[in-house]
Amino acid sequence: MKTGGRVTNWVANGLSRDVVAGVVVPGRWQGVDLAIWRSATGVLRAWKDRCPHRGMRLSHGFVRGEGLSCIYHGWTYGTDGRCRSIPAHPDLVPPAAIRAEALDCAEADGVIWVAGAGEAGPLPAVTGLVPLRSLALHALPGQIAAALPGLRLFPGGLRGVVVLGGIQTSLCLLLQELARGQTMIHALCGPQDDPVAVSRGLEDLRRSIEQGVAA
Amino acid sequence: MIPQAVQDCWYPLAMAALTGPYPGRATQLLGQPIRVFRDAAGTIRVQGDAGADLPVILRFGHVWACPGTPQRDLFTIPEADHPGRRLVDCGVVRVKCSPLRAVENFLDIAHFPFVHTDILGAEPHTEVGRYEVHIREDTDEVWATKVRFHQPQAAMSAEGGIETEYMYRVPAPTAAVLYKTCPARPGDWDVIGIFVQPLTEELCDVWPWMALYDDVTPQAALIQFQQMIFLQDRSILENQIPRLLPLDPGMEIPTQADLTSVAYRRWLKRKGLTYGAQMVAA
Ligand code: FES
Ligand SMILES: [Fe+2]
Repeated sequence: MKTGGRVTNWVANGLSRDVVAGVVVPGRWQGVDLAIWRSATGVLRAWKDRCPHRGMRLSHGFVRGEGLSCIYHGWTYGTDGRCRSIPAHPDLVPPAAIRAEALDCAEADGVIWVAGAGEAGPLPAVTGLVPLRSLALHALPGQIAAALPGLRLFPGGLRGVVVLGGIQTSLCLLLQELARGQTMIHALCGPQDDPVAVSRGLEDLRRSIEQGVAA
Repeated sequence: MIPQAVQDCWYPLAMAALTGPYPGRATQLLGQPIRVFRDAAGTIRVQGDAGADLPVILRFGHVWACPGTPQRDLFTIPEADHPGRRLVDCGVVRVKCSPLRAVENFLDIAHFPFVHTDILGAEPHTEVGRYEVHIREDTDEVWATKVRFHQPQAAMSAEGGIETEYMYRVPAPTAAVLYKTCPARPGDWDVIGIFVQPLTEELCDVWPWMALYDDVTPQAALIQFQQMIFLQDRSILENQIPRLLPLDPGMEIPTQADLTSVAYRRWLKRKGLTYGAQMVAA
């Protein structure tokens, strides 16, 4: 997202607490589908969502210990991306060239960020806010921004103080473009804000934006 | 646009027994609208949009048609005619994938423990031993033989784990037949086929079909078993990237367990059967 002359490649891909140890979920960065997973000891990784063997989506796989296994033939990749076992050939040591393709990922303030390998700038700061929830909208980021003129653009999304559901709240909406004109909003709010009220306000907002888009 | 070699093949379009009078089944073949129906005389006919009749063969309980000029007869499965076998039509499964990916998946055993867990395979019995693959010169078919795999529940009539032996056969670009040890009759083979109808390059109807020595299991249970297996396969097939089958090496990484897949891809490429395939690594 380009904002005010500053360029960052970081795109929010979820809230840390939604990707617990032992879980893999789909993600997306600049049109590239991802598999985002956390090992048993808590190591977080973001990889292209494609197993090098026969192209199965890794986000459909499963985490065992410190590895992510593909659901098709069970090839297992360690946190370094290297394939470390091929179940059809248990005695074979997989060649080092077989590896999952990694993107950069980082976590700060309860948010999971993803960027192209080795090309990321500083992480967008959302310090002082608390993660609320993620929700998907049938709308583009620009349409969401237009619906919330009280928020300003910053690297990673929109933020500011707005009235939502009749309550004033410090809102931060991290925007992630998905496929087919959808956008995922990762919302954070002020520590004093009522999370239930803000959450309900976001659902109302979604309804009104989607109706606007459909009209 | 569509290679002549592709047009000249036979493709399954419907179950013969379920084909009714005009308008019958309106479907697609190689991206073109097509109709399968029974005319006033009771003859099953296949017509394209312009109303022209396509050559038709009724075999294995299915209606087959050729959109081009057939260069050879449709393959046969002699074992299917042996007395005592039950022929089971298993209906149809619509899959959003390349028809070639659907066939390739059917030729694959290494996925059994992970996709058909505790049915066709189970950890830790994941090893795929060496097997043989060749092209039969006389019939120009891909064959894999001496394929052995540990199977927790090989068929409806099997109880407990057994080492099952398989043979795989690709007699047409979108059809595959497997022969597997028959639990009820050691020395004989159960025969299971999939006939794949290419609606488009990324959409197909899969018609599973069986010829079994099993006169115990109710028909409904047999069909349900096969449907369950194919629904598990579908969750894979609709999530492979790229959607088209890559025929050039480099895009994917085959191992020894993938020898049948490698032979199938080479065979398709050599014969120019590229509908549903991609030639250059994207
Ligand atoms: S496609 Fe991933 S293990 Fe085969
Ligand atoms: Fe399967």
